[in-house]
Amino acid sequence: MKIAYKSLNTKFRAVLFYLPLLTFYFSLFAFADAKVYVDITSPTVKKMLIAIFDFEGPSGDKIAGIIRDDLSFTGLFTYVDKTSYVETLSQPFKPKNWTPLGIDAVVKGRVTEDKNLAVTVTLYDTFEGKGIFSKQYVAAKDLQRQLAHSIANDIYSSLTGKAAPFRTKIAFVGEDGGEKGIYIMDWDGHRMTKLGPKGNLALTPHWSSDGTRLIYSSERGRQWGIYLLNFRKMTEKRLFVSGGINMAGDFFPDGNSFIFSSSKDGTPDLYEFTIADNTVKKITSTHGIEVSPSISEDGKYIAFVSDRGGSPQIYVMLSDGGDARRITFEGSYNTSPHWSPSGNRIVFSGRRGSKNQIFTVKPDGSQLAQLTDVGNNEDPSFSPDGRYITFCSDRDMTKGVYIMRANGEGQKRITPRELKAFGPAWSPN
Amino acid sequence: MKRFCFLLLVIVLASFGCQKREITRPEAESESQQQKEQPETKAPEKVTERQITSQVESVETGGKVSKSTEEKEGIFKDIYFEFDKYDVHDTFKPILKSISAWLIKKTDVKLSIEGHCDTRGTTEYNLALGDRRTKAVKDYLVSLGVPSSRIETISYGSEKPVCTEQTEECWAKNRRAHFVVLHAEGK
Repeated sequence: MKIAYKSLNTKFRAVLFYLPLLTFYFSLFAFADAKVYVDITSPTVKKMLIAIFDFEGPSGDKIAGIIRDDLSFTGLFTYVDKTSYVETLSQPFKPKNWTPLGIDAVVKGRVTEDKNLAVTVTLYDTFEGKGIFSKQYVAAKDLQRQLAHSIANDIYSSLTGKAAPFRTKIAFVGEDGGEKGIYIMDWDGHRMTKLGPKGNLALTPHWSSDGTRLIYSSERGRQWGIYLLNFRKMTEKRLFVSGGINMAGDFFPDGNSFIFSSSKDGTPDLYEFTIADNTVKKITSTHGIEVSPSISEDGKYIAFVSDRGGSPQIYVMLSDGGDARRITFEGSYNTSPHWSPSGNRIVFSGRRGSKNQIFTVKPDGSQLAQLTDVGNNEDPSFSPDGRYITFCSDRDMTKGVYIMRANGEGQKRITPRELKAFGPAWSPN
Repeated sequence: MKRFCFLLLVIVLASFGCQKREITRPEAESESQQQKEQPETKAPEKVTERQITSQVESVETGGKVSKSTEEKEGIFKDIYFEFDKYDVHDTFKPILKSISAWLIKKTDVKLSIEGHCDTRGTTEYNLALGDRRTKAVKDYLVSLGVPSSRIETISYGSEKPVCTEQTEECWAKNRRAHFVVLHAEGK
């Protein structure tokens, strides 16, 4: 039965008209998120003041110190020193001890140690006047740093609603006595380990998106090959070798294939390697140099370096090789592109004057922003949450691995000065 | 009717003022909440980590090629390139002519051409540039009559510099092709 609209009573008509709109507006409130204390997506974030006591018990000060360093590096928190605290660790939490100082959150903890390390932590919200969470963590004693990072992760995600990167790692190339090999360290530079067979030249490490494998390029017997390191089995396997150069690039998101540059057919071009059946598919084919490919997180686009225009510049194309567009137009040398996880930025190294600097740009080439200005800065890549960038710099004696916030703040070296280090790649988890 | 529509409009406009996501400073809006609520307690979390050791077992696919190398001087001088360029300069063609003559006669060895760059520039692009340098030299030797199969090439980019000072003199020394004679295994 059709209802003729015009025959309806005007009031009823109005209800019919406005009802869908109202339903829509009120549904927005139904999806209201859990409370978020710090909106990290806001362009101007007010830093949160946080108090973190030295934890009671063995190594309590060390664990608290790691948490403080983690949270401070995010740029979202200002740590208030314990000399300002009115309350002690053992006294019960009272909001009136904190709110006059403008402190938003308080962390208290206690460490006990027998066979393992056990830490109990409570995070308090001073303005609501209560604890937000209280949790116990247990770890083997040699995992003290990872335990502290786990606590920092939970504090961070409680207060921002986002996942934190404090347990991630960075793979890089380290030079030790003339030998260049792949190393792994915590994101803050600790617990460095050199990987793999000795006596070889290895470069360009890249992580699989589940963090269980690493591919890299290595020269052995005067040939460049692409090697896969499996962390589950701690085995290394050569996947591809040929004459010319072979440089490992990013994995595709599903982890079944990766992109690499090879000059096996003459000049360096980009290829896709499928691991299951060892097949190689050519993606670019020019008379020039195509190298340094980076795949966007959704797997749809590839950023790469090409000199097809006469000088090395950054291009973006579809992952099947179509529709290549140049995106850098300033300077005569722009290389080493890497996508941000959200896909809205590409970070790269560009030569300005006589030095290389780190830049970010939108994938359409707009909003070019320079992030460094001292020394030579190269090999940039984003952290998995897109909030930080790792790169290498020779601004201070030896070339080393640095990290910074994605807006250029907080630049600091994380590898020791005695080790020449470059080519850093941030683990996905 | 008009009042009804007006009321609806007010409600709709008022809703624009409310954010979908509440950023807080929690206020007294949550009066219904208890002042001294117990914090949410969770079961203990065991913090573990996959062991990463230096010892890595190599699972090679395909055989290894054994080569013994001999660094030769005399006619096998390094040849040099201009910044960011890979073409063979006329100055160095006499060297390549001597090398080609030697190779054509000594048929039991191969020549390996190494391509190098100065330390400016980034890792991957330098490897590619070094690769193009080796190929330019190889192409020239082949044009002089050396069979292509007698020549191998390998680029080291800027990974094996002969000097590390940040000077024009040092940079020029690194932009080179270097020659190594390869003997097959056993010789």
